[in-house]
Amino acid sequence: MSFWEKMERLDRRVIYVLLIAAVAFALIKPVGLAITISKETQATYDLFDGLPPGSIVWIGCEYGASNITELQPILTCVLRQGLAKDLRFITGGMWAQAGNLAESAWEDVSADFPDKQYGIDFVNVGYRPGGERLLPALVADAHEALMGRDNRGTSLDDLPLMQEFKSLTDAAAILVLVSGTPGEKEYIRLVTDQHGIPIVAGAVSVSVPEAMPLLNSGQLKGLVMGMAGAAEYEVLIGKPGSAVAGMDAQSFAHVLIILFIVLGNLGHIALGKHKKKA
Amino acid sequence: MRRNGPIIVGLISGLVVIVANFFVGTVMQTLRNEVTQWQLIAGAFAVLVGSINLCRIHMTKISRKKEDRFFSWVLLVGFFGFLLFGLPKGSSSHPQFQWVFKTSLEPMSATMFALLVFYIASAAYRAFRVKTPEATVLLLAAVILMLGKVSVGRMISEWIPQASSWLLDYPNTAGMRGITIGAALGAVATAFRVLIGIERGHLGGIG
Repeated sequence: MSFWEKMERLDRRVIYVLLIAAVAFALIKPVGLAITISKETQATYDLFDGLPPGSIVWIGCEYGASNITELQPILTCVLRQGLAKDLRFITGGMWAQAGNLAESAWEDVSADFPDKQYGIDFVNVGYRPGGERLLPALVADAHEALMGRDNRGTSLDDLPLMQEFKSLTDAAAILVLVSGTPGEKEYIRLVTDQHGIPIVAGAVSVSVPEAMPLLNSGQLKGLVMGMAGAAEYEVLIGKPGSAVAGMDAQSFAHVLIILFIVLGNLGHIALGKHKKKA
Repeated sequence: MRRNGPIIVGLISGLVVIVANFFVGTVMQTLRNEVTQWQLIAGAFAVLVGSINLCRIHMTKISRKKEDRFFSWVLLVGFFGFLLFGLPKGSSSHPQFQWVFKTSLEPMSATMFALLVFYIASAAYRAFRVKTPEATVLLLAAVILMLGKVSVGRMISEWIPQASSWLLDYPNTAGMRGITIGAALGAVATAFRVLIGIERGHLGGIG
Protein backbone atom coordinates (compact mmCIF):
# COMPACT_ATOMS: atom_id res chain seq x y z
CA MET A 1 0.00 0.00 0.00
CA SER A 2 1.45 3.37 -1.04
CA PHE A 3 1.80 6.37 1.29
CA TRP A 4 -1.20 8.13 -0.22
CA GLU A 5 -3.31 5.01 -0.02
CA LYS A 6 -2.45 4.82 3.69
CA MET A 7 -3.38 8.46 4.12
CA GLU A 8 -6.66 7.93 2.34
CA ARG A 9 -7.60 4.90 4.45
CA LEU A 10 -6.19 5.82 7.82
CA ASP A 11 -7.33 3.48 10.59
CA ARG A 12 -9.82 5.27 12.85
CA ARG A 13 -7.90 4.06 15.94
CA VAL A 14 -4.90 6.15 14.80
CA ILE A 15 -7.19 9.19 14.69
CA TYR A 16 -8.53 8.37 18.17
CA VAL A 17 -5.07 7.99 19.73
CA LEU A 18 -3.72 11.21 18.21
CA LEU A 19 -6.85 13.08 19.27
CA ILE A 20 -6.53 11.86 22.87
CA ALA A 21 -2.86 12.88 22.86
CA ALA A 22 -3.62 16.37 21.48
CA VAL A 23 -6.46 17.04 23.94
CA ALA A 24 -4.54 15.62 26.92
CA PHE A 25 -1.44 17.66 26.05
CA ALA A 26 -3.45 20.89 25.86
CA LEU A 27 -5.22 20.19 29.15
CA ILE A 28 -2.05 19.19 31.02
CA LYS A 29 0.16 21.89 29.52
CA PRO A 30 -2.05 24.82 28.42
CA VAL A 31 -0.42 27.19 25.95
CA GLY A 32 -2.82 30.03 26.74
CA LEU A 33 -4.08 30.93 23.26
CA ALA A 34 -5.63 34.40 23.15
CA ILE A 35 -9.40 34.61 23.54
CA THR A 36 -11.18 37.36 21.61
CA ILE A 37 -14.65 38.46 22.71
CA SER A 38 -17.31 38.04 20.04
CA LYS A 39 -20.07 40.63 19.61
CA GLU A 40 -22.70 38.02 20.51
CA THR A 41 -21.11 37.24 23.90
CA GLN A 42 -20.51 40.94 24.55
CA ALA A 43 -24.21 41.67 23.87
CA THR A 44 -25.21 39.04 26.43
CA TYR A 45 -22.84 40.50 29.01
CA ASP A 46 -24.08 44.03 28.29
CA LEU A 47 -27.71 43.05 28.77
CA PHE A 48 -27.11 41.89 32.36
CA ASP A 49 -24.68 44.72 32.97
CA GLY A 50 -27.37 47.24 32.06
CA LEU A 51 -30.07 45.88 34.38
CA PRO A 52 -30.80 47.96 37.50
CA PRO A 53 -29.78 46.37 40.83
CA GLY A 54 -32.55 44.22 42.31
CA SER A 55 -33.86 43.13 38.90
CA ILE A 56 -35.10 39.55 38.72
CA VAL A 57 -33.60 37.32 36.02
CA TRP A 58 -35.16 34.00 35.07
CA ILE A 59 -32.63 31.36 33.99
CA GLY A 60 -34.08 28.44 32.06
CA CYS A 61 -31.76 25.45 32.43
CA GLU A 62 -32.94 23.62 29.33
CA TYR A 63 -30.15 21.06 29.08
CA GLY A 64 -28.90 17.85 30.61
CA ALA A 65 -25.79 16.85 32.51
CA SER A 66 -24.16 15.76 29.23
CA ASN A 67 -23.82 19.43 28.24
CA ILE A 68 -22.23 20.75 31.44
CA THR A 69 -18.84 21.28 29.79
CA GLU A 70 -20.26 23.94 27.50
CA LEU A 71 -23.24 25.35 29.40
CA GLN A 72 -22.43 25.13 33.11
CA PRO A 73 -19.62 27.72 32.86
CA ILE A 74 -22.08 30.13 31.22
CA LEU A 75 -24.51 29.64 34.09
CA THR A 76 -21.89 30.21 36.77
CA CYS A 77 -20.48 33.25 34.91
CA VAL A 78 -23.89 34.95 34.62
CA LEU A 79 -24.62 34.20 38.29
CA ARG A 80 -21.27 35.70 39.31
CA GLN A 81 -21.76 38.76 37.14
CA GLY A 82 -25.33 39.27 38.34
CA LEU A 83 -24.78 38.67 42.05
CA ALA A 84 -21.88 41.15 41.99
CA LYS A 85 -24.38 43.66 40.54
CA ASP A 86 -27.13 42.76 43.06
CA LEU A 87 -29.32 41.08 40.47
CA ARG A 88 -31.57 38.29 41.73
CA PHE A 89 -32.04 34.95 40.00
CA ILE A 90 -34.71 32.31 39.70
CA THR A 91 -33.69 29.10 37.96
CA GLY A 92 -35.88 26.35 36.62
CA GLY A 93 -36.62 24.43 33.50
CA MET A 94 -38.44 21.93 31.35
CA TRP A 95 -35.52 19.49 31.30
CA ALA A 96 -35.40 16.82 34.00
CA GLN A 97 -31.98 17.72 35.42
CA ALA A 98 -32.61 21.48 35.53
CA GLY A 99 -32.93 21.54 39.32
CA ASN A 100 -29.70 19.67 40.02
CA LEU A 101 -27.65 21.62 37.49
CA ALA A 102 -28.82 24.95 38.93
CA GLU A 103 -28.12 23.68 42.44
CA SER A 104 -24.56 22.73 41.35
CA ALA A 105 -24.00 26.22 39.96
CA TRP A 106 -25.32 27.87 43.14
CA GLU A 107 -22.99 25.65 45.22
CA ASP A 108 -20.04 26.76 43.09
CA VAL A 109 -20.89 30.45 43.13
CA SER A 110 -22.45 31.15 46.54
CA ALA A 111 -19.20 30.56 48.44
CA ASP A 112 -17.76 33.67 46.75
CA PHE A 113 -20.81 35.77 47.76
CA PRO A 114 -21.30 35.18 51.50
CA ASP A 115 -23.77 38.07 51.77
CA LYS A 116 -26.13 36.54 49.20
CA GLN A 117 -28.81 34.24 50.52
CA TYR A 118 -30.95 31.48 49.11
CA GLY A 119 -34.55 32.66 49.00
CA ILE A 120 -33.61 36.34 48.81
CA ASP A 121 -31.08 36.55 45.99
CA PHE A 122 -31.50 33.14 44.40
CA VAL A 123 -34.25 30.53 44.17
CA ASN A 124 -34.10 27.25 42.34
CA VAL A 125 -37.59 26.09 41.39
CA GLY A 126 -36.18 23.12 39.49
CA TYR A 127 -37.74 20.90 36.88
CA ARG A 128 -41.43 20.79 36.16
CA PRO A 129 -42.92 18.27 33.73
CA GLY A 130 -45.27 19.21 30.90
CA GLY A 131 -42.77 20.38 28.29
CA GLU A 132 -43.31 23.75 26.67
CA ARG A 133 -46.76 24.15 28.27
CA LEU A 134 -44.90 25.07 31.44
CA LEU A 135 -44.06 28.46 29.94
CA PRO A 136 -47.62 29.81 29.44
CA ALA A 137 -48.48 28.35 32.85
CA LEU A 138 -45.58 30.31 34.38
CA VAL A 139 -46.83 33.45 32.66
CA ALA A 140 -50.39 32.94 33.90
CA ASP A 141 -49.53 32.09 37.53
CA ALA A 142 -45.99 31.06 38.40
CA HIS A 143 -46.82 29.80 41.89
CA GLU A 144 -49.59 27.55 40.63
CA ALA A 145 -47.44 26.28 37.75
CA LEU A 146 -44.68 25.42 40.22
CA MET A 147 -47.15 23.64 42.53
CA GLY A 148 -46.21 26.06 45.32
CA ARG A 149 -42.78 24.55 46.06
CA ASP A 150 -39.18 25.12 45.02
CA ASN A 151 -36.68 22.37 44.20
CA ARG A 152 -35.79 21.99 47.87
CA GLY A 153 -39.41 21.40 48.82
CA THR A 154 -39.73 24.81 50.51
CA SER A 155 -43.07 26.56 50.17
CA LEU A 156 -42.79 29.48 47.74
CA ASP A 157 -44.69 31.59 50.26
CA ASP A 158 -41.69 31.29 52.61
CA LEU A 159 -39.22 32.63 50.04
CA PRO A 160 -39.07 36.47 49.94
CA LEU A 161 -37.87 36.56 46.33
CA MET A 162 -40.90 34.58 45.18
CA GLN A 163 -43.25 37.17 46.69
CA GLU A 164 -42.11 39.49 43.90
CA PHE A 165 -42.29 36.79 41.25
CA LYS A 166 -45.89 35.86 40.55
CA SER A 167 -45.49 35.52 36.80
CA LEU A 168 -42.67 34.95 34.35
CA THR A 169 -43.44 38.48 33.11
CA ASP A 170 -42.00 39.78 36.41
CA ALA A 171 -38.55 38.86 35.09
CA ALA A 172 -36.53 41.83 33.79
CA ALA A 173 -34.61 39.49 31.48
CA ILE A 174 -34.39 35.83 30.61
CA LEU A 175 -31.33 33.68 30.03
CA VAL A 176 -32.03 30.31 28.48
CA LEU A 177 -29.32 27.67 28.31
CA VAL A 178 -30.19 25.28 25.53
CA SER A 179 -29.11 22.01 24.01
CA GLY A 180 -32.27 21.07 22.13
CA THR A 181 -36.06 21.21 22.29
CA PRO A 182 -37.74 22.70 24.27
CA GLY A 183 -35.36 25.63 24.24
CA GLU A 184 -34.97 29.22 23.11
CA LYS A 185 -37.58 28.98 20.33
CA GLU A 186 -40.29 28.02 22.83
CA TYR A 187 -39.38 30.90 25.14
CA ILE A 188 -39.51 33.35 22.23
CA ARG A 189 -42.77 32.00 20.84
CA LEU A 190 -44.64 31.65 24.13
CA VAL A 191 -43.14 34.32 26.39
CA THR A 192 -40.68 36.96 25.25
CA ASP A 193 -42.17 38.02 21.88
CA GLN A 194 -45.64 38.33 23.45
CA HIS A 195 -44.56 40.17 26.59
CA GLY A 196 -41.53 42.13 25.41
CA ILE A 197 -39.02 40.59 27.80
CA PRO A 198 -35.39 40.69 26.60
CA ILE A 199 -33.95 37.20 26.19
CA VAL A 200 -30.41 35.93 25.64
CA ALA A 201 -29.27 32.36 25.16
CA GLY A 202 -26.31 30.13 25.81
CA ALA A 203 -26.25 27.24 23.37
CA VAL A 204 -24.14 24.13 22.87
CA SER A 205 -22.07 24.50 19.71
CA VAL A 206 -24.23 22.15 17.65
CA SER A 207 -27.34 24.21 18.45
CA VAL A 208 -25.75 27.51 17.40
CA PRO A 209 -26.74 27.36 13.68
CA GLU A 210 -30.36 26.87 14.75
CA ALA A 211 -30.24 29.91 17.05
CA MET A 212 -28.59 32.25 14.54
CA PRO A 213 -31.79 33.32 12.69
CA LEU A 214 -33.30 34.31 16.05
CA LEU A 215 -30.24 36.38 16.85
CA ASN A 216 -30.20 38.06 13.46
CA SER A 217 -33.91 38.90 13.72
CA GLY A 218 -33.31 40.56 17.09
CA GLN A 219 -35.53 38.10 18.93
CA LEU A 220 -32.45 36.97 20.85
CA LYS A 221 -30.50 39.93 22.25
CA GLY A 222 -27.30 37.93 22.68
CA LEU A 223 -25.92 34.45 22.21
CA VAL A 224 -23.10 32.69 24.03
CA MET A 225 -21.86 30.04 21.61
CA GLY A 226 -20.67 26.82 23.19
CA MET A 227 -17.43 26.48 25.10
CA ALA A 228 -15.78 29.24 23.07
CA GLY A 229 -18.52 31.66 24.16
CA ALA A 230 -18.26 30.42 27.76
CA ALA A 231 -14.52 31.08 27.69
CA GLU A 232 -15.17 34.60 26.39
CA TYR A 233 -17.64 35.18 29.24
CA GLU A 234 -15.09 33.95 31.79
CA VAL A 235 -12.64 36.48 30.39
CA LEU A 236 -15.30 39.23 30.50
CA ILE A 237 -16.06 38.69 34.21
CA GLY A 238 -12.33 38.32 34.95
CA LYS A 239 -12.56 34.81 36.36
CA PRO A 240 -11.01 32.27 33.96
CA GLY A 241 -12.30 28.77 34.64
CA SER A 242 -12.95 25.44 32.99
CA ALA A 243 -14.03 26.92 29.65
CA VAL A 244 -10.84 28.96 29.21
CA ALA A 245 -8.83 25.88 30.18
CA GLY A 246 -10.72 23.82 27.61
CA MET A 247 -10.24 26.21 24.69
CA ASP A 248 -6.63 25.19 24.05
CA ALA A 249 -7.76 21.56 23.86
CA GLN A 250 -10.59 22.51 21.49
CA SER A 251 -8.16 24.46 19.27
CA PHE A 252 -5.74 21.53 19.12
CA ALA A 253 -8.54 19.07 18.38
CA HIS A 254 -9.94 21.22 15.57
CA VAL A 255 -6.51 21.68 13.99
CA LEU A 256 -5.85 17.95 14.17
CA ILE A 257 -9.20 17.08 12.58
CA ILE A 258 -8.49 19.59 9.78
CA LEU A 259 -5.06 18.00 9.25
CA PHE A 260 -6.70 14.61 8.88
CA ILE A 261 -9.21 16.04 6.41
CA VAL A 262 -6.37 17.61 4.38
CA LEU A 263 -4.32 14.39 4.39
CA GLY A 264 -7.35 12.32 3.43
CA ASN A 265 -8.09 14.65 0.53
CA LEU A 266 -4.46 14.73 -0.66
CA GLY A 267 -4.58 10.93 -0.75
CA HIS A 268 -7.92 11.09 -2.54
CA ILE A 269 -6.51 13.47 -5.19
CA ALA A 270 -3.14 11.69 -5.51
CA LEU A 271 -4.93 8.45 -6.24
CA GLY A 272 -7.04 10.19 -8.88
CA LYS A 273 -10.33 9.36 -7.17
CA HIS A 274 -11.57 12.93 -7.38
CA LYS A 275 -11.93 12.54 -11.15
CA LYS A 276 -14.43 9.72 -10.78
CA LYS A 277 -18.11 10.60 -10.47
CA ALA A 278 -19.39 10.25 -6.88
CA MET B 1 -66.30 6.30 23.35
CA ARG B 2 -62.85 4.76 23.77
CA ARG B 3 -61.98 6.13 20.35
CA ASN B 4 -63.94 9.38 20.35
CA GLY B 5 -63.33 10.39 23.99
CA PRO B 6 -59.65 11.37 23.56
CA ILE B 7 -60.41 13.08 20.24
CA ILE B 8 -63.16 15.19 21.85
CA VAL B 9 -60.88 16.11 24.78
CA GLY B 10 -58.12 17.04 22.33
CA LEU B 11 -60.48 19.08 20.15
CA ILE B 12 -61.93 21.07 23.07
CA SER B 13 -58.51 21.67 24.72
CA GLY B 14 -56.92 22.70 21.42
CA LEU B 15 -59.76 25.04 20.47
CA VAL B 16 -59.70 26.70 23.91
CA VAL B 17 -55.96 27.43 23.59
CA ILE B 18 -56.27 28.71 20.01
CA VAL B 19 -59.42 30.83 20.54
CA ALA B 20 -58.05 32.36 23.78
CA ASN B 21 -55.25 33.95 21.77
CA PHE B 22 -57.83 36.12 19.95
CA PHE B 23 -59.79 37.23 23.04
CA VAL B 24 -57.40 38.88 25.47
CA GLY B 25 -58.72 39.44 29.01
CA THR B 26 -61.85 37.31 28.65
CA VAL B 27 -63.17 34.13 30.25
CA MET B 28 -61.43 32.25 27.43
CA GLN B 29 -58.07 33.14 28.93
CA THR B 30 -59.15 31.78 32.31
CA LEU B 31 -60.21 28.60 30.55
CA ARG B 32 -56.91 28.45 28.68
CA ASN B 33 -54.97 28.78 31.94
CA GLU B 34 -57.02 25.94 33.39
CA VAL B 35 -56.33 23.75 30.33
CA THR B 36 -52.62 24.60 30.56
CA GLN B 37 -52.60 23.56 34.23
CA TRP B 38 -54.22 20.25 33.29
CA GLN B 39 -51.60 19.75 30.62
CA LEU B 40 -48.89 20.06 33.28
CA ILE B 41 -50.65 17.48 35.45
CA ALA B 42 -51.01 15.15 32.46
CA GLY B 43 -47.30 15.72 31.74
CA ALA B 44 -46.39 14.63 35.27
CA PHE B 45 -48.42 11.44 34.81
CA ALA B 46 -46.72 10.87 31.46
CA VAL B 47 -43.34 10.86 33.25
CA LEU B 48 -44.68 8.24 35.67
CA VAL B 49 -46.14 6.10 32.88
CA GLY B 50 -42.90 6.41 30.89
CA SER B 51 -40.84 5.30 33.88
CA ILE B 52 -43.07 2.27 34.49
CA ASN B 53 -42.93 1.35 30.82
CA LEU B 54 -39.14 1.68 30.73
CA CYS B 55 -38.79 -0.64 33.73
CA ARG B 56 -41.28 -3.12 32.26
CA ILE B 57 -39.36 -3.35 28.97
CA HIS B 58 -36.03 -3.95 30.69
CA MET B 59 -37.45 -6.40 33.23
CA THR B 60 -38.88 -8.38 30.32
CA LYS B 61 -35.45 -8.39 28.65
CA ILE B 62 -33.87 -9.75 31.82
CA SER B 63 -36.54 -12.38 32.44
CA ARG B 64 -36.24 -13.60 28.83
CA LYS B 65 -32.44 -13.75 29.22
CA LYS B 66 -31.84 -11.58 26.15
CA GLU B 67 -28.24 -11.29 24.93
CA ASP B 68 -27.70 -7.67 26.05
CA ARG B 69 -29.58 -7.99 29.36
CA PHE B 70 -26.50 -6.76 31.26
CA PHE B 71 -27.30 -3.21 30.09
CA SER B 72 -30.88 -3.63 31.29
CA TRP B 73 -29.48 -4.52 34.71
CA VAL B 74 -27.31 -1.40 34.67
CA LEU B 75 -30.32 0.74 33.79
CA LEU B 76 -32.55 -0.77 36.48
CA VAL B 77 -29.86 -0.57 39.18
CA GLY B 78 -29.24 3.08 38.26
CA PHE B 79 -32.95 3.87 38.09
CA PHE B 80 -33.91 2.28 41.42
CA GLY B 81 -30.61 3.30 43.04
CA PHE B 82 -31.30 6.99 42.41
CA LEU B 83 -34.98 6.54 43.29
CA LEU B 84 -34.42 4.75 46.61
CA PHE B 85 -31.57 7.03 47.58
CA GLY B 86 -33.43 10.20 46.61
CA LEU B 87 -36.97 9.54 47.85
CA PRO B 88 -36.19 9.53 51.61
CA LYS B 89 -34.24 12.79 51.18
CA GLY B 90 -37.44 14.61 50.25
CA SER B 91 -36.01 16.63 47.35
CA SER B 92 -33.45 16.33 44.60
CA SER B 93 -31.67 19.36 46.07
CA HIS B 94 -30.75 17.46 49.25
CA PRO B 95 -26.94 17.78 49.72
CA GLN B 96 -26.39 14.00 49.74
CA PHE B 97 -28.44 13.45 46.59
CA GLN B 98 -26.76 16.45 45.01
CA TRP B 99 -23.36 14.91 45.85
CA VAL B 100 -24.33 11.65 44.15
CA PHE B 101 -25.57 13.62 41.13
CA LYS B 102 -22.36 15.64 40.88
CA THR B 103 -20.01 12.69 41.33
CA SER B 104 -21.80 10.14 39.17
CA LEU B 105 -24.36 11.40 36.67
CA GLU B 106 -22.63 14.67 35.75
CA PRO B 107 -19.20 13.15 34.87
CA MET B 108 -20.70 10.06 33.21
CA SER B 109 -23.08 12.09 31.03
CA ALA B 110 -20.35 14.58 30.12
CA THR B 111 -18.04 11.69 29.22
CA MET B 112 -20.66 10.12 26.96
CA PHE B 113 -21.15 13.43 25.14
CA ALA B 114 -17.38 14.05 24.92
CA LEU B 115 -16.88 10.65 23.27
CA LEU B 116 -18.70 12.06 20.26
CA VAL B 117 -15.56 13.95 19.32
CA PHE B 118 -13.90 10.69 18.28
CA TYR B 119 -16.78 9.70 16.04
CA ILE B 120 -17.02 13.20 14.60
CA ALA B 121 -13.27 13.28 13.91
CA SER B 122 -13.38 9.90 12.20
CA ALA B 123 -16.55 10.76 10.27
CA ALA B 124 -15.17 14.16 9.19
CA TYR B 125 -11.98 12.51 7.92
CA ARG B 126 -13.97 10.04 5.81
CA ALA B 127 -16.89 12.26 4.70
CA PHE B 128 -15.22 15.56 3.79
CA ARG B 129 -13.74 14.57 0.43
CA VAL B 130 -13.52 16.66 -2.73
CA LYS B 131 -15.73 14.28 -4.67
CA THR B 132 -18.14 16.85 -6.15
CA PRO B 133 -18.33 20.67 -6.28
CA GLU B 134 -21.07 20.56 -3.59
CA ALA B 135 -18.93 18.36 -1.34
CA THR B 136 -16.00 20.75 -1.83
CA VAL B 137 -18.13 23.72 -0.75
CA LEU B 138 -19.24 21.75 2.32
CA LEU B 139 -15.63 20.85 3.10
CA LEU B 140 -14.44 24.45 2.85
CA ALA B 141 -17.32 25.76 4.95
CA ALA B 142 -16.60 23.15 7.63
CA VAL B 143 -12.89 23.96 7.75
CA ILE B 144 -13.53 27.73 7.97
CA LEU B 145 -16.10 27.26 10.74
CA MET B 146 -13.90 24.86 12.70
CA LEU B 147 -10.99 27.27 12.56
CA GLY B 148 -13.09 30.39 13.02
CA LYS B 149 -14.61 29.19 16.27
CA VAL B 150 -11.30 28.59 18.05
CA SER B 151 -8.46 30.91 18.98
CA VAL B 152 -6.06 29.39 16.48
CA GLY B 153 -8.19 30.61 13.56
CA ARG B 154 -7.59 34.25 14.47
CA MET B 155 -3.87 33.52 14.86
CA ILE B 156 -3.72 32.29 11.26
CA SER B 157 -5.68 35.23 9.84
CA GLU B 158 -8.24 37.83 10.95
CA TRP B 159 -10.14 36.83 7.84
CA ILE B 160 -11.01 33.36 9.17
CA PRO B 161 -13.28 34.39 12.10
CA GLN B 162 -14.90 36.99 9.84
CA ALA B 163 -15.61 34.38 7.18
CA SER B 164 -16.89 32.02 9.84
CA SER B 165 -19.31 34.67 11.16
CA TRP B 166 -20.44 35.44 7.61
CA LEU B 167 -21.20 31.75 7.01
CA LEU B 168 -23.32 31.61 10.16
CA ASP B 169 -25.03 34.96 9.58
CA TYR B 170 -25.99 34.57 5.93
CA PRO B 171 -26.02 31.13 4.25
CA ASN B 172 -26.78 29.36 7.53
CA THR B 173 -29.49 31.82 8.58
CA ALA B 174 -31.12 31.66 5.16
CA GLY B 175 -31.14 27.86 5.21
CA MET B 176 -32.34 27.61 8.81
CA ARG B 177 -35.17 30.09 8.15
CA GLY B 178 -36.34 28.00 5.22
CA ILE B 179 -36.28 24.85 7.36
CA THR B 180 -38.06 26.61 10.25
CA ILE B 181 -40.82 28.02 8.05
CA GLY B 182 -41.29 24.65 6.34
CA ALA B 183 -41.41 22.83 9.69
CA ALA B 184 -43.85 25.39 11.10
CA LEU B 185 -46.22 24.95 8.16
CA GLY B 186 -45.98 21.18 8.62
CA ALA B 187 -46.69 21.57 12.34
CA VAL B 188 -49.80 23.67 11.65
CA ALA B 189 -51.09 21.07 9.20
CA THR B 190 -50.37 18.20 11.62
CA ALA B 191 -51.94 20.09 14.55
CA PHE B 192 -55.07 20.65 12.47
CA ARG B 193 -55.24 16.95 11.57
CA VAL B 194 -54.83 15.98 15.25
CA LEU B 195 -57.46 18.50 16.32
CA ILE B 196 -60.15 17.20 13.98
CA GLY B 197 -59.25 13.58 14.61
CA ILE B 198 -57.74 12.60 11.24
CA GLU B 199 -54.29 11.99 12.74
CA ARG B 200 -54.61 9.35 15.48
CA GLY B 201 -51.08 8.03 15.93
CA HIS B 202 -50.83 9.67 19.36
CA LEU B 203 -53.80 7.61 20.57
CA GLY B 204 -51.68 4.45 20.46
CA GLY B 205 -53.32 2.93 17.42
CA ILE B 206 -56.92 3.19 18.66
CA GLY B 207 -59.35 3.77 15.81
